[in-house]
Amino acid sequence: MSKNSTIKNSKINSNHLNVLIIDDNEQITKMLTTFLELKNHNCIVSNDGKQGLALIQKNKHDVVLLDLAMPEFDGYSVIQALENKDQLKNNKIIVFTASTITQDELDELVNRGVTSYILKPIDIDLLLSKIIESATS
Amino acid sequence: MIPIKHILFLVSGVSSFIIFYMGLVNYLTAIEQSTGMTLLIFATAVAMGTLLSTVYISKSITKPIEKLAQNMTEFSKINKITNKKPINTNIKEIHELNENFQSMGQKVEKTIAVQKEYVEKLKEIDRKKVEFSSMVSHELKTPLVPILGYVQMLQKQELMGELNKKQLDAVDEIYSSALKLQRLVGDILTTQKLDLGKLEFNQENIDVGELLNYIIKDFNPIANQKNIHLIKDITGNEVIFSDKDRINQVFSNLIKNAIDFVEPERGQITIGARSDKKFIEFFVKDNGVGISEINQKEIFKKFYQIDTSTSRKRNGSGLGLAICKGITEGLGGKIWVESKENVGTTFHFEIPKQVIKVISKNNQ
Repeated sequence: MSKNSTIKNSKINSNHLNVLIIDDNEQITKMLTTFLELKNHNCIVSNDGKQGLALIQKNKHDVVLLDLAMPEFDGYSVIQALENKDQLKNNKIIVFTASTITQDELDELVNRGVTSYILKPIDIDLLLSKIIESATS
Repeated sequence: MIPIKHILFLVSGVSSFIIFYMGLVNYLTAIEQSTGMTLLIFATAVAMGTLLSTVYISKSITKPIEKLAQNMTEFSKINKITNKKPINTNIKEIHELNENFQSMGQKVEKTIAVQKEYVEKLKEIDRKKVEFSSMVSHELKTPLVPILGYVQMLQKQELMGELNKKQLDAVDEIYSSALKLQRLVGDILTTQKLDLGKLEFNQENIDVGELLNYIIKDFNPIANQKNIHLIKDITGNEVIFSDKDRINQVFSNLIKNAIDFVEPERGQITIGARSDKKFIEFFVKDNGVGISEINQKEIFKKFYQIDTSTSRKRNGSGLGLAICKGITEGLGGKIWVESKENVGTTFHFEIPKQVIKVISKNNQ
């Protein structure tokens, strides 16, 4: 490791990240896990918003991939719950969604403290670069 | 019409005055034998009769009509009857006139209420339509996520193992079809929003030169693949205030079309901008097969696809140009085409440099 690397990022090895994936669609979480594991990253999956929130609050993850549209407890609720406990900015959250969402709404989420966003369907190269970028930001 | 009894009353009133005074005149004539005096008295009688009739007409006809006129003026301003009291008159016609006006007014009030209700219902249907198409688009995009994800993994052979030529071709075909489906889903949603005036527009400062560079950079890989030459044609620096993503979307649709219509190897596509004081005109010019005059009139219609022997493979949804038209108009501008068969086509779209009012955002 070079002398210039910052202390903040010293613990993060961008070649082997811990990624929490929260999405109610099992086919999507399976595909993402397959891809990220092939890229040598470690994945934890939750198909439920409430459980996902508990996992965020329990353990530290390098990056959280959070689906916005989920039944009952959706991505917005997860964000709101984290915000209420002042935990949103401590986590690297990338939201993703297949819903129609305006640029304004996305910007608003970033303003609130979400790290990044990506729209579904997903370009896996773009996803990977966003994951690494967010983890090391 | 004034009722007969009123006329009779009037006439008898005036004539009894005249008769009475004529008698008086005869009497005085006998006494004084003075013709001048007679005339004076006669004139006074006529003047008094006239005065009495005028007072009567004013009180029983003019005043109620004035009142009615005032009610009508108020009604025409607010489409609502404010004064529902009957008008104080003993003339039957005026009374009826007021009654008819009142009942007509009530009918108009009712019709307006019904219309308002319909408008609300239509707005509700519009909202449901947007909701529905958003839902459909979400449901169609979701299964595309794993499809595209796995296909991309298969294409990266270092991830999932080497494929033979046939397998790789098959995977590439799946990939391009899935992308087409993704685009189609997006286009349908955009079209629906445009139809309903619900497409969102943003406004920001845009460096036109930078925007064109970005677009060219974006399309260079695909153009290079087909040996198509992409050229930028712009003079001077221009900064406009409009919607960058939407302008980009129009350019993308036009360039995609142009790429389909030029010959690989000798194809040339020029994108550029010219501006005057208030407007900026963008263009996409190609040296492709051109568009016949008949087709030129139709191409901006939804789902219209050019279908002649001269047209090469068509990839689009038939929505691209309709979307370009909708966006351009939404930004307060217009789009048109110039083309000559076997020479080339130029699409122009012109928008205000400062968007004053974004038309499609008018969605209360």
